[in-house]
This record gives sequence, C-alpha cells and structure tokens, in this order.
Amino acid sequence: MIALQDRKLALWYIAVAYIAFLIGTLMGLLQVFIRNDKLQLPAWLDYYQILTAHGVLLALIYTTFFIFAFFVTGMSKSIGTFGPKVRLFSWIGFWVTLIGTVLATAMIVAGEASVLYTFYAPLMASGWYYVGLALFVVGTWISSFALIGHYRVWRKNNKGELSPLFAFMTITTIVLWLIACLGVVATVLFQYIPWAFGWSDTINVELSRSLFWFFGHPLVYFWLLPAYIAWYVIVPKILGVKVFSDSLARLAFVLFILFSIPVGFHHQLTEPGISNFWKFLQVVLTFMVIIPSLMTAFTMFANFEISGRKKGATGLFGWFKKLPWKDVRFTSIFIAMAFFIPGGAGGIINASFQLNEVVHNTLWIVGHFHITVGTPVAMTFMGLTFWLIPYLTGRKFTKSMQILAFVQIITWSIGMLLMSTAQHILGLLGAPRRTAYSNYNNHPSAMEWFDGILTSHVTMAVGGSILFLSAMILIYIVVMSMFLSPKAVKVEDQVEFPMAESDKTHTPKWLENWWIWIGIAFALIIIAYAIPLSSMIMHAPPGSEGFKTW
Amino acid sequence: MSKNNEHDGLDLRGTLASVMVVGVIIVVMWVVVYMMYLGR
Ligand code: HEM
Ligand SMILES: [Cu+2]
Repeated sequence: MIALQDRKLALWYIAVAYIAFLIGTLMGLLQVFIRNDKLQLPAWLDYYQILTAHGVLLALIYTTFFIFAFFVTGMSKSIGTFGPKVRLFSWIGFWVTLIGTVLATAMIVAGEASVLYTFYAPLMASGWYYVGLALFVVGTWISSFALIGHYRVWRKNNKGELSPLFAFMTITTIVLWLIACLGVVATVLFQYIPWAFGWSDTINVELSRSLFWFFGHPLVYFWLLPAYIAWYVIVPKILGVKVFSDSLARLAFVLFILFSIPVGFHHQLTEPGISNFWKFLQVVLTFMVIIPSLMTAFTMFANFEISGRKKGATGLFGWFKKLPWKDVRFTSIFIAMAFFIPGGAGGIINASFQLNEVVHNTLWIVGHFHITVGTPVAMTFMGLTFWLIPYLTGRKFTKSMQILAFVQIITWSIGMLLMSTAQHILGLLGAPRRTAYSNYNNHPSAMEWFDGILTSHVTMAVGGSILFLSAMILIYIVVMSMFLSPKAVKVEDQVEFPMAESDKTHTPKWLENWWIWIGIAFALIIIAYAIPLSSMIMHAPPGSEGFKTW
Repeated sequence: MSKNNEHDGLDLRGTLASVMVVGVIIVVMWVVVYMMYLGR
C-alpha cells in the first residue's frame, strides 16, 4: 500500500470528481426530458444553464479530478512516495484547481455563464467565469509540475534507466496537457478576460475559437490517455499476462502527443474564416492519429488472446470465452473498449472534411462523444473506481458491492446504447444538438424525430433515465467504499493496485528522450498553425462585442 | 537488438481476425455516411 499522505490526496481528488459526476448526470437527466417536451424548467432556470453545467462538470471537472487521483496513486505506487516538496505543490495545485472549479460553477449557478463548456465568443459570461477557468488550468499546471518533479527525482536516482511504464505514460499525458493548455490560456487571459471585464470593447471571434480548439482536441486525449494507461498497464495484470510490448506502448503514447495537437481545425471545418488548405492539412494530421489508435486496438486483442490461450483456449476465437468475465474490474473496461470501436469510427467520419457537413452540430455529435468520453473513458474510470477507492481507504470491495458494480456497468451500457444510438440516428436525420424542445412549427421532418423506435427523442429519454439510475448506483458504491464498507483486516481481503510487469530490455532509450518528442510536436504545431493564426490576427475582421442571449 | 524476442511462437491469429473486424466496422460506417453525403 502507498503512503497515507499520498492516499489522502488521491481521495480528495476522487471526492470532488464524484460530486461533479452527481450534479452533472442529474443535469443530463433533465436534458433528455426537456428535449422530449416532458419537462419544463421554472423561469429561473435555463436550458443552456443546465447544459453548461453538464458539459463543464462531466467533461472537465469529473475527468480532470479523477485523472489526477489516478496519477497520484499510480505515480506513488510505481516510482515511490512523494517527497515533501512534491506533496506541498500537489496540494497547492489541488486547491487552486478546486477554487477555480467552485468559482466557475458558482457563475453557472448564478446564471452568469450560460455559454456552454466551449464558451464560444461572442457569447459573453461574467468575467469571473473566465477567471475560474484560468484558475482551474493553473491549478492543474501546478499539480502537473509537482508530478514532473517527482518523476525527475526518480530519473536522477536511476540514471540511464527507462522509467516504469505507468510513470512514462503519466508524464506523456501531462506533457500533452501542458502544451494543449497554452491555447486556452492564451485566449482566456488575452481575449476573454479583458473583454468580459470591459477593458476592451470587442473580441476577435475566429481567433478565440481557433485557440479554443488548439486546446479542445488534445483535451479529448487528456481524457483518453489515462484510460489507455489502464488498458495498457492494468488490464494485462488482471488477465495474468505481461504488457504485450513495452516499446509499442511507449511509441503509441508519444505519437499521441505529436498528432493530437496540430489538428484543432477539424472542429472548425464549416467556418469560413479558415482557408481550405489549412483545414485539409489538419485533416491529414488528424488521420495520422489512427496509427497509434490501431496499435492500441491490436495490443488489446493480443493481450486477450495470449491470456486466453494460456488458459487453454483453442481455435480462432476460443480465447474470448476464457476472459475473466466474472471480474468486474475487467468486464467494465472491456465494455468501455467495445464502445470505443464505433466511437472511434464515428470520429473518423467527423474528421473527414466534407462528411463533417452531414453531422456538424447535429445530435450525432452528442451521440459520438457519449460513446467516446461518456462511456469508454467514463466507464474505464468507473472500472478503476471500484478498486481504487477501497485500495486507498483500506476497505473491502465486498461481494455485494461487486454485484452492484455489475448492475451499474450493465445499466450504463444499456442506457448508453439506447441514448447514443438514438442520438446518432436523429443526428443523421438532421436533429440539431444544443437545443431544448422544438417542433419547428410542426414541420414534418421535425415531427419524425418524435416517433420511430430507435430514431426518437423518447428512446433518448428512456436511455437517459437508465443512465441516471446507473449513475446513482455508482454514487452509492463510491460512498460505501469511501466511508462505510468494512475495513480489510485480513491480507486476502485487501484490495491490490493491479499493475502489469513490463519488459523494458528491448525498449530503445530514445523513446524517453522528451526533447525529441516535444521538439517534433512544436514543429508540427508551427507548420499547422503559425500561418493561419497569424493571418487571423493580421487580417482580423472587426471584432465583436459581447452578447448575453439568456 | 536481439532477434529472438519474447513474441516468437505466439499464436495471434485471433488478434489478426479481430483487428480486421474493427477495420471492417470503420469502413462500413464511413461508407454509409458517405452515401448519405452523396445523396443530399
Ligand atoms: C446520466 C448520464 C448522461 C445523460 C443522460 C446525458 C445526456 C446528454 C444530452 C441529452 C446531451 C445533449 C444536449 C443537447 O445538445 O441539447 C448531453 C450533452 C453532453 N454530454 Fe452528456 N449525458 C450523460 C453523461 C455524460 C458523461 C458521463 C459525459 C462526459 C464524461 C457527458 C458529456 C457531455 C458533453 C460534453 C455534452 C455537450 C454539452 C454541450 O453541447 O455544450 N455526458 N448529454
Ligand atoms: Cu477533435
């Protein structure tokens, strides 16, 4: 077991994560009923207010806090207990992140920031909302540098050695995060804050959107890579095999740094302010990310097959039956992976330049990110939560909790299957995202969205309700394993942190030479962004003043 | 780097088949949306 103080830090991160999860999923429940005209909000509450809360609390707060809990625990486990300085800065980072979170959330609750989690200008929130966001990012930076400091101490004490895979992957994710945030920090500090506080009258909208998406796409990899850490490092241990290939795993991770940043324009394919050449270049770079993604898919299947064959499986797919289905730590993550197959395929469609026109701003997109971040990432985090909290609190993961955990992941899967399938199809039929109920003057196309079995807002609402039920079961499991489950006194009751062995003997050293990867990353960023961004600044159209539409 | 690595002698036919299935799913989904794009 890791040091008590490190466990305490991780538990605080998890607690905040699940408070955000509780409020966020409640907002999701309201949304599906509002869209289906079964619920009308009171006058003091606005659809965009709850949708902002949903996006911010789940996609930003839940994910980030959980990720740091996982990193703190895994780093302490793989490279040792935090020193006093690392610990101090980790706590400072935690509190700054939390203060930013509370400030931004308070502004949403006060109705001062119904601008959605993308906070596109010229929608203008209270300046304090942007201050909250800035503090949030700065807080994560402090925590990130604390972890980097911890890693550097290890490197110094283990000269010439490759770091353990978990630590390497954590640092990769953090490097990605630090570079990604440069975009959002630039736009928030130099554009939004002066504008929202009235120090400047107008904002350069296209530039602000581009800087946001410079951050927004790698943001999704900041969510995904921690899930991949679990897939690469934790799943093999549960399966009883070694990490399939240490070098492949490291190479895949550094490729994610390279190809997840210079690609933000794939979210802006319909915007007239960017020329086709730069859009196309970034589309090509986006497609490069398929390489490490398929390397990951290959590794996962290889783990399964090797483990199954070790247990005596024969034939082409015999290993499938030998997987540890009764172990909820495995089954949860397996389902998460399965959802990511259509999720990733949908992402390729979204990024396919012209095809984006079919799906842009429709409910398809909502379906898409609920089967990428909303399930593959979130359910991997759930699968980690089941044992991570007992591991940290020293409590048992009891039989009844295990059964409940199965109920939780199965209800989540069913709910998500219904909701996201409906969203995908509705989107293809033209139903827009980010709208409350509307029948568009009884237009026949719009009326179609309310009947049909899989193609209906009703299905979406049923799915959403099952999802919310599942979320509440999870909250119950979290509370139990935090405070109430019996303490694990006997050794066999103690919950372990499953971390697979990784054979580094054949791994080339240059894979851990950060200057190479950071250097190439910046070179690609400059190629993809320098010219279009500078022309947005030099040939800026008249800026826009702020609008408050709610 | 030595030639005899830890992956010698592994039977990964199922893995090959599985990644092919993933590839087919990607292509089929893509073609469906592409057809819709052409049809509009
Ligand atoms: C109880 C479970 C959930 C339900 C019922 C639900 C429902 C919804 C619905 C209906 C929308 C679309 C609203 C619209 O476009 O008008 C939405 C948007 C969204 N959801 Fe969820 N969701 C759930 C869980 C999650 C989770 C776990 C995540 C991420 C970790 C997530 C992330 C998002 C994001 C980022 C948006 C987009 C917000 C925006 O457009 O600004 N959701 N959700
Ligand atoms: Cu993207």
